[in-house]
Amino acid sequence: MTPSIRIETRDLGKVFAIDGRDMRAVDGVSLSIREGEFVALLGPSGCGKSTILNMIATLLSTSSGEILIDGKAIDPRRPDPKVGYVFQRDTLFPWRTVQANIGYALELSGVPAAERRERTETALAQAGLQGFGHYYPASLSGGMRQRAALMRTLIVQPQILLMDEPFGALDTHTKLEMHRVLLNIWEREKQTVLFVTHDLGEALTLSDRIILLSARPGRVKDEFIVDFPRPRDAVTLRETPAYGALFSRIWHSLGEEFVKGADT
Amino acid sequence: MSRAGIIAWQVLISVTLAVVWEWGYDLHERVPWLVPDLLDPYFVSKPSAIYDQFLHASCLVDKRGTWNGWSSGEFSKCMARSENNLWVATLVTLKNTLAGFAVGTSSGFVLGLALGRSDRLTAIFQPFIVAANSVPRIALAPIIILAFGLGNASKIVTAWLVVVFLVFFNTFEGARSVDRDHISAARLLGASEWQITRTVIIPSTMAWLFASLTPAISFALIGVILGEFIGAQQGIGRMIIEAEARGEAAGMMVAVFVLMIVGVVLAGIVRRVQAYLLRWRPQTVGNL
Ligand SMILES: Nc1ncnc2c1ncn2[C@@H]1O[C@H](COP(=O)(O)OP(=O)(O)OP(=O)(O)O)[C@@H](O)[C@H]1O
Ligand SMILES: [Mg+2]
Repeated sequence: MTPSIRIETRDLGKVFAIDGRDMRAVDGVSLSIREGEFVALLGPSGCGKSTILNMIATLLSTSSGEILIDGKAIDPRRPDPKVGYVFQRDTLFPWRTVQANIGYALELSGVPAAERRERTETALAQAGLQGFGHYYPASLSGGMRQRAALMRTLIVQPQILLMDEPFGALDTHTKLEMHRVLLNIWEREKQTVLFVTHDLGEALTLSDRIILLSARPGRVKDEFIVDFPRPRDAVTLRETPAYGALFSRIWHSLGEEFVKGADT
Repeated sequence: MSRAGIIAWQVLISVTLAVVWEWGYDLHERVPWLVPDLLDPYFVSKPSAIYDQFLHASCLVDKRGTWNGWSSGEFSKCMARSENNLWVATLVTLKNTLAGFAVGTSSGFVLGLALGRSDRLTAIFQPFIVAANSVPRIALAPIIILAFGLGNASKIVTAWLVVVFLVFFNTFEGARSVDRDHISAARLLGASEWQITRTVIIPSTMAWLFASLTPAISFALIGVILGEFIGAQQGIGRMIIEAEARGEAAGMMVAVFVLMIVGVVLAGIVRRVQAYLLRWRPQTVGNL
């Protein structure tokens, strides 16, 4: 049996009105992502990656085309509880402690305090944040905050994960650390992931497949299968010849887009 | 400068002021160009006279200057004789200040939140708010006394009037500037509209409310004193007006000092509470 398609977009388009003029940000994007697949959406800055993800997450309305989750058109007024979203920006609630942030979704659905405590403790441990539960986000480092944000999304065990450059603001070392954390979780839970990034190394480390977008307006330009064996190690993977070969192949394709993206 | 150095300077300045205030006017005859007329004890009294007046007004000593012991019952007799002695007056003013503060901040918060989150309400009410806010509050005080009488109600209303706009504008600003991504995050984590209001909009607006609490408590005190000036039977403001009518500078000064202490204590408490409630912020404002 072939795995079923979980996320599908058909001819997805988005037009923004800027100063009375229409600006096409996304144009005719058709994607399909299978159950348990980790897909990276790669493209130069401003090519419409966040826009695509936000439309799938119902944060933005579509201008044209269709979005289906598990074969059903999404309801733009109500986010699908199966879908978890991790933001490009830090969106932890600063007035809640780390633990209260992670337990937020459980609180919303009325999970009793004792069970909430137990599950958030587990999540804290998983993210290497033991002992930081009672801290406020303002007193954590960027990497810790992003791990907490990841856990806040994962606590309700979404089967589908939309991630918008979640590690974009982190330094290289912290980023690799985060890749390790994410891969660990993913190996166990095998969520269906659509991961936006403009970092080719990150896309190669994490994903099964890379979808390359063109410079604005974002269109699907190319697609690459990343068949490195799993489980992968974020650091040693980078030293293998297969990694280098694929890197330079995609790099050339990507390079053209960066040149095009730069003069817009 | 070291802490001890700062305290030394503060003590020096206080002592100098007190000495000039107490004895400065004695030089008026001899060197009139040096001592301003304002130092006349008839206007500003003297520290010693103010202290004596304080002991009388607070029923701590009797007319002959002997101390009223607790046991002799003189103290309670003195308390019973005057219906606006220093203790009663302070208590009345304090109670009305806190009541006006509570009513003003809560109603200002609710209004600010409602309007801040609704463009339609804002469009409708904006001209009324601008018009009402541009009336100097003091001009309304006589009307309030007329409408609510000489008792506590009119003082609470005056305080409310002074506080409510301050808190309203702060809350309004706060409700407008709730981070959109926080709202999106809550929505995607499954929050309903009401849950978003309760768990995102209210807490993040609270931060702005808290920031207005310290000025609000001072404003409430101003409102109450203003009401007491215009018409009251009790309160510190009333004491000042009575002392003025009798030409007793010392009586006025006692009231002013008590007000100063009340103001400092109230603002101090509010600042503590505020710092605690905003402890999640990167740095809270000031560390006093
Ligand atoms: N709300 C909006 N209104 C108008 N234009 C927008 C809006 N959101 C995005 N855009 C424009 O659409 C284009 C695509 O934006 P988007 O945020 O999707 O890019 P991105 O690929 O995520 O870039 P980055 O990697 O920098 O995050 C950009 O040119 C941006 O200016
Ligand atoms: Mg983006």
